[in-house]
Amino acid sequence: MAISADVREFVRSCVPLTGFAEYDLYGTGMADLYLDTARAQVGEEHFAAFLRAWIAAVEEGEGAAALSPTHLEIARAVTYLWYTGAWPRMAPAAHAALRREKANVEFVAAPAAYVEGLVWRTFDGHPAGAKPPGYGTWSVRPPRPRTLAEPRREAGTDAPAEQAAEERAAEEAAVPAAKLPGPLLARGTAPSTVMTADDVPGDEI
Amino acid sequence: MTAPPTVPPAAAARRHYDAVVVGAGWAGSLIARRLGEKGWDVLVLEAGNGGTETWPGYLDSLDTFYSAVAKVPNSAYRPNRAVPSPDVLDMAPVRATEPGGKEFTADGYFVQEGPLPYGTDYLRALGGAGMHWLGAVPRMHPDDFRVRAGYGYGRDWPLTAADLQPYYARAEREMGVAGDAAEQRGLGVIGDPAYVYPMHTVPPSYIDRYCAERLDGHVVTEPVGGQAGELRVTALPQARNSTPDPAYDGGRGFRPAGAAGLPNYGERCVGNASCVPICPVQAKSSPLRVQAGFNGNVTLATRSVVTRVLRGRGGTVRGVEYRSYGDPATPVSEPYTAEADIVVLAAHAVENARLLLFSELAATSGQVGRNLMDHPTMLAWALSAEADGPVGPYRGPGHTSGVEVFRFGDARRARAPFRIELSNWGWSWATGAPMSNVAAALGVGGTADGEVRPDPTFGPELRRLLGSVIGRQLQLQIAIEQSADPANRVTIDPRRHRDPMGNPRPIIAYDLDRHVRDGMVAARHVARAIFARLGATDHTTYRPQNGVPPIGHLTHTYDGREVHLAYRGAGHGAGTHIMGTDAKTSVVDSYQRTHDHPNLYAAGCGSMPSIGTSNPTVTMAALALRSADHIDRHLADLHRPVAVRVPARQHPAARQEATS
Repeated sequence: MAISADVREFVRSCVPLTGFAEYDLYGTGMADLYLDTARAQVGEEHFAAFLRAWIAAVEEGEGAAALSPTHLEIARAVTYLWYTGAWPRMAPAAHAALRREKANVEFVAAPAAYVEGLVWRTFDGHPAGAKPPGYGTWSVRPPRPRTLAEPRREAGTDAPAEQAAEERAAEEAAVPAAKLPGPLLARGTAPSTVMTADDVPGDEI
Repeated sequence: MTAPPTVPPAAAARRHYDAVVVGAGWAGSLIARRLGEKGWDVLVLEAGNGGTETWPGYLDSLDTFYSAVAKVPNSAYRPNRAVPSPDVLDMAPVRATEPGGKEFTADGYFVQEGPLPYGTDYLRALGGAGMHWLGAVPRMHPDDFRVRAGYGYGRDWPLTAADLQPYYARAEREMGVAGDAAEQRGLGVIGDPAYVYPMHTVPPSYIDRYCAERLDGHVVTEPVGGQAGELRVTALPQARNSTPDPAYDGGRGFRPAGAAGLPNYGERCVGNASCVPICPVQAKSSPLRVQAGFNGNVTLATRSVVTRVLRGRGGTVRGVEYRSYGDPATPVSEPYTAEADIVVLAAHAVENARLLLFSELAATSGQVGRNLMDHPTMLAWALSAEADGPVGPYRGPGHTSGVEVFRFGDARRARAPFRIELSNWGWSWATGAPMSNVAAALGVGGTADGEVRPDPTFGPELRRLLGSVIGRQLQLQIAIEQSADPANRVTIDPRRHRDPMGNPRPIIAYDLDRHVRDGMVAARHVARAIFARLGATDHTTYRPQNGVPPIGHLTHTYDGREVHLAYRGAGHGAGTHIMGTDAKTSVVDSYQRTHDHPNLYAAGCGSMPSIGTSNPTVTMAALALRSADHIDRHLADLHRPVAVRVPARQHPAARQEATS
């Protein structure tokens, strides 16, 4: 089946969001489903407007900084979909601004979408319950983590040399708590509703 | 392997059986198969739905798991309105309305009275909780059977570890266990100097090796009991297909069982890393394997919900009343009865108690439903040092090794003992990772006030960040022994709380005593020391978030300070019809026969007076096999012909004549 122009544009614009090359995104087999899901979730017109804004922001080299808060949240939701196979709960403010008629809850787009989540590839893993690597493979030392330069090269967004050196130093620094999940409050807490660690008071035993 | 033969519920009702077994989980399936092998006519009534015993049905469960947002133990199995299962999703934390008040709500099958949540689920479906279990099968230690005599808390068994050794070995054969017997002997849990497990130990994970290299030989002193424990990373015995040991069984070796429902399919663990809730290749053992071995003497009926055990003459019971339903979505059902010489309840600790209470049986001791236990499990999580590189989480079985030293010794007098599992699945249990890592890194979902967050990470930066913070996840799961306390109990109130079919729902009262809480404090200190030794950054916290406590939250005063702690349920429900020698203080004897009714047995973890720090399934299976032998003798006695002439046929065929 031929790939439609809409899907081509969608996948191309998802490269700078996900950090994965078009080749990888097509390789999931999920591009059509994700475009349909995103359109259904935020509405055709809202999604078209978001895509125009995002393509312009990328072309002008501004990236996510140029997006309105609502468009920023759509960008996150689309990226979350590629990474996990699930549409997330959106920030309530964005949900309200989009006047969505859908319940603002996380759901898995399809069983196969879970299996194709990109998150597993970020740490050279495989989805839990699928693509098993074979008896005893869990004993093997995992490969060294990627530097920033490698996915940049793959995604075609190389940074200048002096900037890359600075970033290498920053990579060694501790991860900000705002970028880590805090504990699940309940077992049923959807992953996209888990508070970040900076919102959770530390332990002091 | 082929699927077990099942019959329609109506057909099952038309005969008199030697034994009726209620529940087709591990205990019921093992007992039924054994009795069938001995020639007895057995009916197994399973309340839940079947389906997973066929290959398409099993694949449907896998898709159900893939589609679940919260991949909890029951997430691979479809909800059944007619026969609800308790689910960990049923509980949600809330701000206490008053100091010391209840910090959770529950709206599922259990009616939870608190003060603390009973966070343990089970599955009412063919195979029971044996479908979603992890497959961890460490034996109990001899000291675990005599905690009252040895350490002054809880209750003692009428059996010793030595009594159970041959049955443990048989259970390990039936389940297909892989493990390192020499190492387990070193811990004191295996007595037989020549024993080897049927299969070689499941290979350790890289995380195990990473931890062993840094922890082995290091001494950690926990401040509560004062135990100075020398850490040693030890392999977990697992009911999971590995490499058969040719030395097993005096050199006869072992042939592992394959998948149910698909002939000639089955293999060693291939590392799907989803044992809980479902092993896609069925390398993890399940009761479906036992059922596939049922012979023609065993009749299995699903969607057959036992509502009551029926009284017979004198102190005996004469059978069960059950209801069958066609559609799990609607509780429309029809009643039947099945009569039998022996009734065996094997429906889970909570379900057995519920049935005994509703049938008003075994009431002499007043202990039915009491002494409800679990392994309250504390989670601790950290990131390994960046310089060490990734540790490779989310690979292999859920955990393949643990630290055992705090399970044993005199310190358990002062605080509950605990077993430390090294998780192979990162922060998934504690935080919902790796999906929640994606959400946190992106900043999706907004701030606590619902506004869109300003600080996005996209593209190559997102990829690199996730690779680092997921690849370095370490998690400890610390299972703490909970001892028998009559105040922790299951009750029923049929006037107020019934399920859609009309059966009474279990009402649970649950708390953790000071001994357990002191164990939790000690465990927290040990976890911190382990992370420090590993050079890992500890991210554990049990404190309320914006005033809302995490589920299982409690505060405890230690060393003059109030500390925040939290636990999760382990799925190890036990102790609702505990065994003993005295009919006034216990419900069943060491054969799991009720003291009050000579032909009524209650089998399962409910019979256990203490559970140590071992996942209880293998002990339950050992008890079930011991009971099966006893029931066989019991049936033989019941069917002994009174005629003076020599019977023409051997015992199993002669039994109908002697049945009253």
